[in-house]
Amino acid sequence: MNNYKLSNFNFGRAFIYLILIFFALIYLAPLYVMFTTSLKDIEEIRSGNLMALPLDPTLYAWKKAWSSACTGSECQGLAPYFWNSVRIVVPAVIISTVVGAFNGYALAKWKFKGSELLFGALLFGCFIPFQVILLPMAKLLGELGLANTVTGLVLVHVIYGVAFTTLFFRNYYVGIPTELVKAAKLDGAGFLSIFRHIFIPLSTPIFVVTIIWQFTQIWNDFLFGVVYSGSGTQPITVALNNLVNTSVGGKEYNVDMAAAIIAAMPTLVVYVIAGKYFVKGLTAGAVKG
Amino acid sequence: MGSISLNGIKKSFGETEVLKDINLDIKDGEFLILIGPSGCGKSTLMNLIAGLEDLTGGEIVIDGKDVSEESPKDRDIAMVFQSYALYPTMNVARNICFGLEMSKMPKEEQEVILKKVSTLLQIDHLLDRKPGQLSGGQRQRVAMGRALARSPKVFLFDEPLSNLDAKLRVEMRTEIKKLHKRIATTIVYVTHDQIEAMTLADRIAVLKDGELQQVGTPYEIYNDPVSHFVADFMGSPGMNFIECIVKDENLIIESGGQKYELSIPCKEAINNSKLDVVMLGIRPEMLTEIQPSAAKNAYIHQIKFDVDVLEPMGADTIAIGQWNDNEVMARLSPESGNIAGKGFDLQVDTSKAILFDPNSGLRIK
Repeated sequence: MNNYKLSNFNFGRAFIYLILIFFALIYLAPLYVMFTTSLKDIEEIRSGNLMALPLDPTLYAWKKAWSSACTGSECQGLAPYFWNSVRIVVPAVIISTVVGAFNGYALAKWKFKGSELLFGALLFGCFIPFQVILLPMAKLLGELGLANTVTGLVLVHVIYGVAFTTLFFRNYYVGIPTELVKAAKLDGAGFLSIFRHIFIPLSTPIFVVTIIWQFTQIWNDFLFGVVYSGSGTQPITVALNNLVNTSVGGKEYNVDMAAAIIAAMPTLVVYVIAGKYFVKGLTAGAVKG
Repeated sequence: MGSISLNGIKKSFGETEVLKDINLDIKDGEFLILIGPSGCGKSTLMNLIAGLEDLTGGEIVIDGKDVSEESPKDRDIAMVFQSYALYPTMNVARNICFGLEMSKMPKEEQEVILKKVSTLLQIDHLLDRKPGQLSGGQRQRVAMGRALARSPKVFLFDEPLSNLDAKLRVEMRTEIKKLHKRIATTIVYVTHDQIEAMTLADRIAVLKDGELQQVGTPYEIYNDPVSHFVADFMGSPGMNFIECIVKDENLIIESGGQKYELSIPCKEAINNSKLDVVMLGIRPEMLTEIQPSAAKNAYIHQIKFDVDVLEPMGADTIAIGQWNDNEVMARLSPESGNIAGKGFDLQVDTSKAILFDPNSGLRIK
């Protein structure tokens, strides 16, 4: 074994690893600074070194960021906004994913006159910048009586997300042999039962990809959140911005850092848990029968 | 019951006419093979019968009932696909029972059918496996089991054996024939393999460019083809085609550096056609080494043959040479094959020889 290992060592490979480690450190450095800073007290931050480990780690900043930091005039921390985000993200992800799955299935396997054109138009939706639809969407939400509500934000994210989710599912389902649909039709299955019994069980990877994508997009959204939310319905990204911009006395970097990590945590967790499916799903080939 | 009438079937995809006025009656219990080169429309015709595509024109009648507008599930047809199209996430048992499940048959009855079908096809030990864990031959059986379970009026087979290796293909071919003997249900079977067609069919329908060329028993198709195309398509190795000058009702050929006059059965046809040059069609098995036992008659000729290439096939050896600058294959015994070479004595039996118009490719009868 030793011989084998020795003979496998070469300088080219070592060089590649060195480069990879170097860049990994550069990318991880900000996270390190954020995390260590959030565990320091404000005195240590002022006097100490940015890269130094905390001398006396404390959770003070985390507690404050979560429950008592001021975001504008309110001083309840990020907690209520965190739950706002959850109330926006969960339904928006579920609805846009389910609608996308249906759309993709229909566009891939039940072609009708103009279906390609419709798909093209939906695809176009992926390239519309957020800013372009701000005013018309505000008008629409006003007309629907959904301005400044969580429901309104869910609707906006569903509409915006369906273009992407449809694209994902359609492209995945195109790779599933049409003969399966034919066989199922002859077996007496219809549009819905073919979807339920044959396509859904094959769809785990693409569901994971879509859910991660949508979760990340919607959780991280700031623009729609800041424009279409009211005082009590702001998502966490908007609250984070307000928290950082509100200073009573000196700037509490430790609280800012803790708040930023709290805001980013759910997307990180989702990616760590489901990340391997994400890569698998993106590269999943045709289904062999 | 399961008779099918195809009346004036037409199918176009956009501007392209794939099927042009197909008329065909398939009897109940018949094994009909649709054969033709790729792109001739045979799979499209099958999809039309199944109801997976819409007709452009004509009507499909099953058991006296026009089903042209009916959806696939109401036609009572089962299909075996080239790719098997097994449902990848379901195990074998559920694959077989899926059609029954869709028709809301009670579980107990499904079990009975599942047992019967899986025993018949010898797949009862595989019921818990997923299709991905099966070999090609096993998948093939499951696909047939799925079709059998619903005991439909008609089975459609779309090139079911083309994904199997050569040995397994021969085995499954025999199994399909046995199966048909046992269940006696109408089968329409698409293939481009002429051996499959010859061995399995009650009748063969030869399709080319969306038109039926000929419909007949394997014997008729092989021995009495209507055109150069059909004659060329059926048989392996294929029929020899030699352009010959006509002289006094006989055909002139040049072989092994000498000229011969071949006497053939259809003399009247030559006279009627008034052609100076005809295309002679003769199967390789009629060109052999000298058979001392052969009856001496006007159609048995003995000629010299310069063998260029020998292809031993085990049971016999194919000798390739030239007549009138056209390639000719003779079927020799392996022993004769060992000694064949320049100036080999060849026996030519023209009793089954047929003639074609070299311009139109049609038979001269």
